[in-house]
Amino acid sequence: MRSFSTARVLLFALGVIVLASFLPLGVSGYILGLLTIAYYFGVFAMSWDLLFGFAGEVNFGPTFLIGTGAYAAGILDNLYQLPIWICLVAGALAAVIGGVVLALPALKVRGPYFGLTTLVAVLMLQNFIVVAAGLTGGEIGLVVPDVISVSDTTNYEIALWFMAISGAILFSLSRSPVGLILQASGQDAVQAGALGFNVTKHKLAAFIISAFFSGLAGALMVFYLGTASVGTLVDITVGVQIIIAAVLGGRRTILGAVLGAIFLIAMSEALRPLGDLSNFVVFAIALIVVLLFPNGLLGLLTGTKENI
Amino acid sequence: MLFWQILIDGFAISSLYALGATGFALIFGVSGVLNLSHGALMVAAVVAAWAAGAHLHAGPYAGAALGVAIGFSTSLLTYFVIVRPLQHSRKIREEEKEIFILTATLLWGIMIQELIAYLYTNNAKTVAPIVEGVVWIVGVRTPSNEIFTAVVCWLVIGLLWLLVNRTRAGKAVLAASMNPRGVTLLGIELSQVYIAVWAIYGVLVGIAGVLLGMFLGVSSYSVGPLTASAFAIVVLGGLGSVSGALIAAYVVGYLETMTAYLISPAYRTIPALLLVVAVMYVRPRGLLGRR
Amino acid sequence: MSMAAGAHLEVKGLTKRFGGLVAVKEMALSVRAGEILGLIGPNGSGKSTVMKLIMGIERPDAGSVRINGVEVAGWPSHKIARMGAGIVFQHSRPLHRQTVFENIKLALLPDKLTRLFADPEIDERVRAIAARVGLSAVLDRRPATLPFADLRKIEIAKAIARDPQVLLIDEPFAGLTSKDTAAFSELICELRDDGRAVLLVDHNVKSVARLVDRVLAMYVGECIAEGTADEVMRNETVRRVYLGGSIETAARPESSFRDSIAPFLAVENVSVHYGKAQALENVSIHVHAGEFVSVVGLNGAGKTTLFNTVSGFLPYSGDIRREGASLRGLTAATIARNGIVQCPEGRELFTDMTVRENLDLGGHHLSPAECANQIGWLFDLFPILHDRQKQAAGTLSGGEQQMLTIARALMMKPKLLILDEPTLGLAPVILEQLSKALERLRQTSAISVLLGEQNVTFALPHADRVYVLEHARIVWEGEPARFAAEAGTGYL
Repeated sequence: MRSFSTARVLLFALGVIVLASFLPLGVSGYILGLLTIAYYFGVFAMSWDLLFGFAGEVNFGPTFLIGTGAYAAGILDNLYQLPIWICLVAGALAAVIGGVVLALPALKVRGPYFGLTTLVAVLMLQNFIVVAAGLTGGEIGLVVPDVISVSDTTNYEIALWFMAISGAILFSLSRSPVGLILQASGQDAVQAGALGFNVTKHKLAAFIISAFFSGLAGALMVFYLGTASVGTLVDITVGVQIIIAAVLGGRRTILGAVLGAIFLIAMSEALRPLGDLSNFVVFAIALIVVLLFPNGLLGLLTGTKENI
Repeated sequence: MLFWQILIDGFAISSLYALGATGFALIFGVSGVLNLSHGALMVAAVVAAWAAGAHLHAGPYAGAALGVAIGFSTSLLTYFVIVRPLQHSRKIREEEKEIFILTATLLWGIMIQELIAYLYTNNAKTVAPIVEGVVWIVGVRTPSNEIFTAVVCWLVIGLLWLLVNRTRAGKAVLAASMNPRGVTLLGIELSQVYIAVWAIYGVLVGIAGVLLGMFLGVSSYSVGPLTASAFAIVVLGGLGSVSGALIAAYVVGYLETMTAYLISPAYRTIPALLLVVAVMYVRPRGLLGRR
Repeated sequence: MSMAAGAHLEVKGLTKRFGGLVAVKEMALSVRAGEILGLIGPNGSGKSTVMKLIMGIERPDAGSVRINGVEVAGWPSHKIARMGAGIVFQHSRPLHRQTVFENIKLALLPDKLTRLFADPEIDERVRAIAARVGLSAVLDRRPATLPFADLRKIEIAKAIARDPQVLLIDEPFAGLTSKDTAAFSELICELRDDGRAVLLVDHNVKSVARLVDRVLAMYVGECIAEGTADEVMRNETVRRVYLGGSIETAARPESSFRDSIAPFLAVENVSVHYGKAQALENVSIHVHAGEFVSVVGLNGAGKTTLFNTVSGFLPYSGDIRREGASLRGLTAATIARNGIVQCPEGRELFTDMTVRENLDLGGHHLSPAECANQIGWLFDLFPILHDRQKQAAGTLSGGEQQMLTIARALMMKPKLLILDEPTLGLAPVILEQLSKALERLRQTSAISVLLGEQNVTFALPHADRVYVLEHARIVWEGEPARFAAEAGTGYL
């Protein structure tokens, strides 16, 4: 995939997106709903990949950013009945602020501490949501009065094109000079510093961008589902699924994350007849992929054998 | 009155935490692994003990033994199936191995959690205690079980200390945590040390789990919070310091107990979490950390 | 791209401590535009630390670093880099997921967040630089597929791209063939002639003598001599410290050693690669039972690699046999248990354990009675360890730690003891004690010893035979008496 120019990849992707936008013509509302969730999930996974794949930082709690954005947007709507687009902007902003607050201590520490810091952040958010139940709906969840649309097709198209645009931006970023600097910062911070790059500044920027897209996607999900809850947006298991999607799809490819997300949702759906066991099987398959195919699906497809 | 209650309950809880955290710190100190399936291994042990009682009608001793055995075997399973293959994998860069192991153990833990929920539902389960009855301490009505828990925890920790500091095999393990290369140069196979450590860890986790089951009960939902408190304690005490973990276990245990009694049981995990955040900001090395 | 006439590096009173160890002590140096200063010293002398301090990769505890008159000590490395300093690291560190083109391009990018598209002229400059160093043919390849010399060229290309006024180069010729070395030397001279101030770090004056204008010699963190290359090579202190004083020998003839079937240790045509670099090339040595053999060589020659290969830590091609039986496939711990025990350069002591506990661990495989016996013998050999037996190993002095390392290894009752640079960083007084202990070992036990040293004065009196290892190859073998005459003079 390396050998294809950014423009060509984007063009190819655009073709696929356009094709996908015709799906509502022949596909049931149920499947459209699944795909809608998959697309938002894809944005979660792409944002995670930017941070991990490029800045080299493993975020074990992407749901901290997602949850902050989602709940901020939802609570504003509940309290003040503001127009949806304002809530969305506010949600994205809240996630960015959350990202900065998380990044500052996290970037000071190395290795496993960083991952643990992000895990702690998620737990704190979870506890806060439960404790401030009056505001957030606690464990039961938040119900928002407005949704973007009741039409499956409209929701699907919004999710699809949101994912397309986010993907285009994130992918172009990864292929740009800034992306190259980020990769250097992640792979060899000492070398990057000796070459004149302020590593902290760049990693912080990666954090903020990741937070923005995660938070915005989270907020959009709230106004699609009409609810927000710890179980769907904040729980550690959701975070783990995002990481699996990105790793399954192929680390450091950005676009692979979308493939991983769709694959994961499709697999969960296919295993639905197993009932409660389906979760277990999904995670088991994910574990096998992590152990045996660390380069993920995209790695398999493009025949990448080397250590990426 | 309340003071004594908090003192006693807090002591029992902290002792349990201390046992679990010691195991967690041991694995990190020697094997270099932050085992995020820690909570799952504990719950698996408890559920085994409970199942022995509920389905096989075994007595409390047999149930406890089964629980410890399950803890032992799942720990070794974790090492051989998850941790070791990743540590030796040629497909992953050295710098990334730590992250992969973290992710894989997290996944493994969730898998176990889901399996338990599927097989036995996520209702809370308690295990029939070995020691029954009540005693009165300073006017506080205390289940004998609590005393038993604290005593057993300290017995095991004491045994572990003896093992590590007074036996040859134990000293080899301690040496391996300081300098793996040095140990190889002295003709001791590291691979055997690692197996020994994970085996010991399995027993520790099994005992801690069974005691927890007898004392408070667990459900598949306990997996996350148990892992979380173990690593919070170990981070607080300092990654790599077992004595630090012991002290931190009491700090966290008492914070939780005080919060539960004085504010509300729903908020019990928050102050400890806040403390961990503060420590990470101010002194990421922890209280007595080496690494 | 023109050089300011005042390109200038000035360092005064530079000091750096790591815990209790003073790595760099009151270093002062100055490099002007159009000049190459060579900073030489053995391993542990602090020369690499000096480079890191100048570049901001480590923060100095005291002292001043001025680049073109601006005080930069304590600045983060990216700011120092933007002030006009560049560094070529000793070990190539390319970005493995990027092509050669992208690696060089990175060095040309400004430190801005907002650049989404690079200047088209940057691509042009990448090609020009690649052409200058000879990488044009491989621009689209990834570093993993390239030979060692090309990886070094990438490092130089990055340095050129940064266009620094002050250039720091760490051990530029390590692992290179003579042809590549010549090409590199030329490149470095061109960079100097552009008007830059170049600081070159190496462990061997000989290899950089033709290149440098001036030399500064370091030992244990301090400057011990300064002048032209010739002056420094002839300096008394330098010769004593690097080479040691006059050499006495007391060799036993090779024929006096009786092996059972075959030489106790036979290393045959062994080659070892570290990634791309060839660390050992067709090395063959042998040690008879009871013989003391010295492998003499400078830093980077390959001694440690040779010893780690024999001890089972590294993959190799060729054969290593112990009394005729091949060691291939045995784990390192097994090889140690079977009687080949190493005292590595890094000592690898259990620093938080006491002296006694370290020794006990060495006697892990002995019965408690045997263990006590051995310890008694060792306390006799190294009396200071008896006095310090309850102290934590980490609190001992360097010499005491070295003795403990050797004692601990001897606890294993080895048939072959491998000593890797035991005298590194030790004061002469300690060397006396070590020397005496080795002498006693030689006279009172049947142990074989393989000693790796760059301190020839220490090594030769204890050797029955000597090998010289240079750039991964054995270049000389013979009796110690002949060594001084044939190989010794060209040694510094």
